[in-house]
Amino acid sequence: MRFFEYSEPATLDEAVTLLRTYPGQTSLMAGGTDLMVQMKEHIRQPDCVISILKIPGMDDFSYDEHNGLTLGALVTTRAVETSPLTQTHYASLARAVTDFASIQVRNRATVVGNVCRASPSADTLPPLIADGAVLHIYGPEGCRRTTVEDFCTGSGKTTLRAGEIVTHIRIPAPAPNTGKAYIKHGRRTQMELATVGVAVTLTLEGGNCRAISIVLAAVAPTPLRARAAEALLRGKPITTAAIAAVAQAASDEARPIGDVRATAEYRRDMVKVLTRRAIEQAIKEAL
Amino acid sequence: MKQVITFTVNQEEREIAVEPHRSLLDALRSEAGLTGTKKSCDVGECGSCTVIMNGKPVNSCLVLALEARGADITTIEGIQPSGEEVHPLQESFMQCGAAQCGFCTPGFVVMAKALLDENPNPTIDEIRFAIAGNICRCTGYTKIIEAIAKTAGTYPSCTNGFAHKAPQPLREAVATALEKA
Amino acid sequence: MTYKSDIIGHSVKRSDLIGKVTGDAKYAGDLIWPGMLYGRIKRCKVAHANIVCIDTSKALALPGVKAVLTHENVPRVLHAGSPHPRSVSVTCDQYILDSKVRYWGEGVAAVAATTEEIAEAALELIVVEYEELPAVFTVEDAQKPDAPLIHDRGFGHNLVLQPQVFTRGDVEKGFAEADFIIEGEYEGGRPTPAYMEPNVCACQWDGNGKLTVWISTQTAFMVRGIMAEVLGLPLSKVRVLVDHMGGGFGAKQDLFQHEFLCALLAKQTRRPVRMEYTREETFLGGRSRHPAKVWLKQGFRNDGTLTARQAKVVFNSGAYGSHGPGVTIVGTSALLSLYRCDNVHVEGRCVYTNSPIAGAYRGYGVVQTYYALDIQMDEAAQKLGMDPVVLKLKNAVREGDIAPSNHPLIGHGLEDCIKHGRDIVGWNALRQRTRDKGVVRSGWGIGCEMHGSSAYPGIKEQGNAIVKMNEDGTVVLLTGTAGLGTGAHTALAQIVAEELGVCFEAVSCIHGDTDVVPWDIGAFASHTTYMGGRAAQMAAAKVKEQMLARAAVLMDVAASELEVTGNLVFLRDEPARCMTVKEVVSAKKGIPAAQFVGSATYHPTKSYSFAAHFVEVKVDTETGLISVSQVVPVHEIGKVIHPVGAAGQIEGGIQQGIGHTLYEDYQIDMKTGRSLNANFVDYKMPLSMDMPPIHTVLLETAPDPGGPFGAKGVGEDPIVAIGPAIANAVYDAIGVRFRHYPIRPEQVLKALREKELLEEGAIA
Repeated sequence: MRFFEYSEPATLDEAVTLLRTYPGQTSLMAGGTDLMVQMKEHIRQPDCVISILKIPGMDDFSYDEHNGLTLGALVTTRAVETSPLTQTHYASLARAVTDFASIQVRNRATVVGNVCRASPSADTLPPLIADGAVLHIYGPEGCRRTTVEDFCTGSGKTTLRAGEIVTHIRIPAPAPNTGKAYIKHGRRTQMELATVGVAVTLTLEGGNCRAISIVLAAVAPTPLRARAAEALLRGKPITTAAIAAVAQAASDEARPIGDVRATAEYRRDMVKVLTRRAIEQAIKEAL
Repeated sequence: MKQVITFTVNQEEREIAVEPHRSLLDALRSEAGLTGTKKSCDVGECGSCTVIMNGKPVNSCLVLALEARGADITTIEGIQPSGEEVHPLQESFMQCGAAQCGFCTPGFVVMAKALLDENPNPTIDEIRFAIAGNICRCTGYTKIIEAIAKTAGTYPSCTNGFAHKAPQPLREAVATALEKA
Repeated sequence: MTYKSDIIGHSVKRSDLIGKVTGDAKYAGDLIWPGMLYGRIKRCKVAHANIVCIDTSKALALPGVKAVLTHENVPRVLHAGSPHPRSVSVTCDQYILDSKVRYWGEGVAAVAATTEEIAEAALELIVVEYEELPAVFTVEDAQKPDAPLIHDRGFGHNLVLQPQVFTRGDVEKGFAEADFIIEGEYEGGRPTPAYMEPNVCACQWDGNGKLTVWISTQTAFMVRGIMAEVLGLPLSKVRVLVDHMGGGFGAKQDLFQHEFLCALLAKQTRRPVRMEYTREETFLGGRSRHPAKVWLKQGFRNDGTLTARQAKVVFNSGAYGSHGPGVTIVGTSALLSLYRCDNVHVEGRCVYTNSPIAGAYRGYGVVQTYYALDIQMDEAAQKLGMDPVVLKLKNAVREGDIAPSNHPLIGHGLEDCIKHGRDIVGWNALRQRTRDKGVVRSGWGIGCEMHGSSAYPGIKEQGNAIVKMNEDGTVVLLTGTAGLGTGAHTALAQIVAEELGVCFEAVSCIHGDTDVVPWDIGAFASHTTYMGGRAAQMAAAKVKEQMLARAAVLMDVAASELEVTGNLVFLRDEPARCMTVKEVVSAKKGIPAAQFVGSATYHPTKSYSFAAHFVEVKVDTETGLISVSQVVPVHEIGKVIHPVGAAGQIEGGIQQGIGHTLYEDYQIDMKTGRSLNANFVDYKMPLSMDMPPIHTVLLETAPDPGGPFGAKGVGEDPIVAIGPAIANAVYDAIGVRFRHYPIRPEQVLKALREKELLEEGAIA
């Protein structure tokens, strides 16, 4: 790694000031599992690394039925993975962070960090988007909010402005009869970057689908909300044929590329298979 | 500009001077003189650099040395209780043949210790899951899993390659396959 | 053969493991000296080019940089890169640094600096101007008449060596006699060893011009020999030390550029220099398995007897020859055997391309050719309406059949493995079962192989050993064999202890210092136990003879009346009359301790080990993902010296073989030659959750008297058998035949779809 300075500001304001005034490139660091790799591969070469580890209040991890789940910027993927709260109410997010790198990485990697990295194959993004997660951001102009969906604008690109820090994520509490599933496709069982990821959140009402979100990873520069596919099932009875049509539609909406991990055609095929499986799984969870 | 930090390694307080961009792995191996922890990929993909930091196993190649200020770290050198005795995990690893070239072994032993500290009676699946982030290229993982299970008491003893006998688990597996047929 | 012993055949505690489980074991990258410099190599980003000029001035000016080397200031000596001097295995086509680069990632310069970061920064300051040349990446393109010549070896068409032809009988007549002929093309990708310890060495010169090299290598004496040759030194001025090393799998038999560069940097700066590959460099600058294409045609009678076999094998050597000749010869000639056939004609060639260098890797050409052969046997069985186990058993080589080494085989090891595995997995019942029709389908397959211990006849090797007894009855074995991590030194100590009649703990094994131990060719070709062990046994026998002679004097009996076991020398017919080994050797009043030293050289021929792997796979027909559910590897390896050690080799080989067949492929961009996955993210090795339970079975039914107590090798067999077993199991599961590795999920899906369409078309 190239030389850089390292700072551990004690407050949010200190961090923001440093971000704005430091004469050179800066990078924020929480768990560091993305940033360290990027620095070693010379993809990012900050002159100053600003750690948020010492900032109080960034490790909030709480849930209640009204406000839903709050995940501070320092909450690790491992904490989310092992929490009965998330396993119960946010099963797709819990799954996403379980099938994520290794335990060693998960002990450091944060959910917010994964969001900010905005990799097209990021595992936390589809479940967060499917659940309508909202980011809380603190910056020079105070606080603002944005949905995770709006936050990611391209491969590795977000709407985070200069001097801003994401402080926490809030995910609404699930409605009754809601089931959530996340299925990740990889060649091996663990330690994989998703070739395709599918998150489904759906709410049942009788034999109908009252609400549904389908979000795809690794088939576009950002996570892709398969809206046309969703429309085929929203408010409609759930039948095998309907699910198959939704899966096909999701596959058609996907815009995958081919690379050393998989061909575009295969990714499309997997969107179809995994969307169907994820819907089936979500239905089971909802019941 | 080097900074001086103190931290506890293997229950001993140490003071080292490091540049900000120094990884904990490099600092442990060089400045702290603890070469047991290995560098194999340096980007968190293989687990060879695993150490326990503040009670949690992490890839030390992805941690900055400066972050270790005031931390409590256990490396492979700190696993054995004393100079005279080894930890049961280390004993099992030796008896079961869980190490061959040995380069990945420190990472596995430390990760296994972290697992058993948290879950003293893991199932075989739980063991596989816990070490999923550690790569071994020599053993095929079979004897590593046996060694960890043996330490936990989940396996009665290590299996050997042996002549003229079918091992018990195999008979069950084949029987199950035939049942389904 | 039932050999009763307390030592041989027991999994004694390996003495090298305590350091490995405590972190005390030192590998070359752990060594550090005051004033040590760090070396790094600059690598090119073009597949084929002349170097027009290199400007190192900015790098030299960087504070902390102490030396920079380019092709302009290193000796220009053509060498074999790989050791085995004066042998047919290797190619003499490398310079330390050349004025031309032949593959993307080749080293063009080296620096030594006071820190690793400075060395890395210096690399970027070296400016290289290239004149790009047209490049070829496939063996087809490389053999075209107008293809650019990568090396001019005199064979034309970018051939590394003259095509190698092996024949037996009359293949035309054989095909004429056949009732049924089958033909197919098989292809192997590019797996790479991916050992956990990146290549590393450290060099230091003393005031007398003697170079000491600490290095991770399988072949310390070869390193000594080649470095002395290239640097122009007598052997007495080069000392190579290997303490622990972190895996090699064959690939660390070569020298890679950094050894010479490290030595030269150390000489120029007059400081110790350590040079370590990054993980990326283990791909770029390492050695992979030869990608291969095998065209195979065989003829059978209706009863399944083979009548003819013909094959053409083409290996892709990459940019340099390395072990191309050896791999071509061994891989191609292997097709003479395994399944007996009187009429064989096989031809192998090895072709340069501007791709990553292929070299020695566990299995050495046989992984590729037996993948083809064993799968085709399975195909033939299916076409003949026979059970593959029955067909393979019928044609399996056996006692008296001539092996590729031109020796008659001993015993019925292959038949034993097939029969034993067949019985314990209940193969016949499995064959009768109803196949799954659901989404996930399971299948069972068998893969067979044989592999020789020792590199004979390609290399007329020898194993050397010196055994000496200390004055308290403990024993020292000096062996040149390498400590690869397989536990071979423990096995050698067991052999010495057994032969001498002392307990295992009494024997210590000295290795890894070329100034001290006797010459050895190195650890490869599965020969350490077989060859090194036999030499150790012979040396121990001499010490035993000397010891018994002295005991005879002390006890006033004839030496022939004495036995020794468990540290005790006793009269055979009157065991109560005895003395301890210590008493025999130790000093007596006024008389010094006896000096018992034995030295031996063993010229092995060849012994063959056998294996049959029975594998269950599961195929998800919606995703195309294949997983291996369980493996029953049955291996016949003669006398088993250390069961856990042997099983460890088998299980590790299976991990690599599963990787080859399902996940691993080191790929390049076929237009630019750029490496696409020189990292562990996208070069995917099986992890703990990808590995199946493995139920290892060892048979001792065909011991070889040439090996110590009948022992044979085992290191390479497992990686050869597992691949075809998996491919055959996939066929059993989904009725689709794959003739290549790695088998990708998208290929499985595509094949399933085509099969469905065919079946629909057939029904319609």
